[in-house]
Amino acid sequence: MEKTMKIPKLRPEMQNGVLCAWLKNEGDEVKAGEPVYEIETDKVVNQIEATDSGVLKKQLCEEGDTVDVLSPVAILETK
Amino acid sequence: MEKKPDWLKVRYNQEAVDEVAELMRDLKLNTVCKEANCPNLGECYRKHTSTFMILGSVCTRNCRFCNVTTGKPLPPDPEEPMNVARAAKKLGLHHVVLTCSTRDDLPDGGAEQFAKTVRAIREVCPGTTVETLISDMKGNHDALDCVLSSHPDVLNHNVETVRELQKAVRPQADYERSLGVLRYCKGKDPTVLTKTGFMVGLGETDEQIDRLLDDVLAIGCDILTIGQYLQPSPQHYPLARYATPEDFARYKELALRKGFRHVASAPLARSSYKAWEALEDVHDLY
Repeated sequence: MEKTMKIPKLRPEMQNGVLCAWLKNEGDEVKAGEPVYEIETDKVVNQIEATDSGVLKKQLCEEGDTVDVLSPVAILETK
Repeated sequence: MEKKPDWLKVRYNQEAVDEVAELMRDLKLNTVCKEANCPNLGECYRKHTSTFMILGSVCTRNCRFCNVTTGKPLPPDPEEPMNVARAAKKLGLHHVVLTCSTRDDLPDGGAEQFAKTVRAIREVCPGTTVETLISDMKGNHDALDCVLSSHPDVLNHNVETVRELQKAVRPQADYERSLGVLRYCKGKDPTVLTKTGFMVGLGETDEQIDRLLDDVLAIGCDILTIGQYLQPSPQHYPLARYATPEDFARYKELALRKGFRHVASAPLARSSYKAWEALEDVHDLY
């Protein structure tokens, strides 16, 4: 089953964030709780964890992209 | 935006955050974790811990380092003390930290709400320790007496920065008044552990930090927290520097050498981050 990972709203007034690094490549296995990518906000770099296990099927953004909150960032193929 | 150093990375798990956020929403409670945009929110919520922010999420002061909204707050919620106690029970907290927005609009600065909340926690969660992270309450002794009458285990009030930067960083507060709050509370109830904290990265010098440590130690303060200032937005007080983990280790060593009983000093150390560790550590020393 395909599951879309979305950019979380890390703080109430957050509109978007910079995806500064992918920590998993397309085709990599991902376990729930493992960090998949990093989003930089004003204060820190947030390593966003997968909430499901599966395979990272598709990265939908590139490193350096500014991405709106709740917009899709990756597709995870879950079992 | 300046590139963040490697040590300013935190983990975030949406499901874990949602669980605690939902509980807070249901009970109409606020956390300083959310309102202050704390970098440790993801970690703390995952561990089912949080710092309750009583008296609403709107502050009457406009400190330039702080992310909490300034404005006209609502009157205290009479249900709040019991709701905090219920949430603490549900989360299974063995140490509860209560803080507040600064309520200069209330004659007692919100002291009574603090006392009621401490008592409600004691009633609903027997054996749970409580830390009150208070505003300066304008240095009002009656208000401080009211908080102390509920016998919190820890009375925390932050000086936030060195004497020399107070006016620029927290214009409606005062270094001497903050020291006075801690001095008065310790004098009034020597059994209460007093605690304070300050940020590094606002432009302070090592000599100014050294003097701050002496000032705080001189008023009998037991516990100290030192953390990196993180600028909430470009509109907030500008960041002067990122101190390194080695700098924080040096500050900790200096503070312990001077005589503090417990020091939490790290880039992401915050006033209430792992607050129970300080309490356990200090109690072991008795």
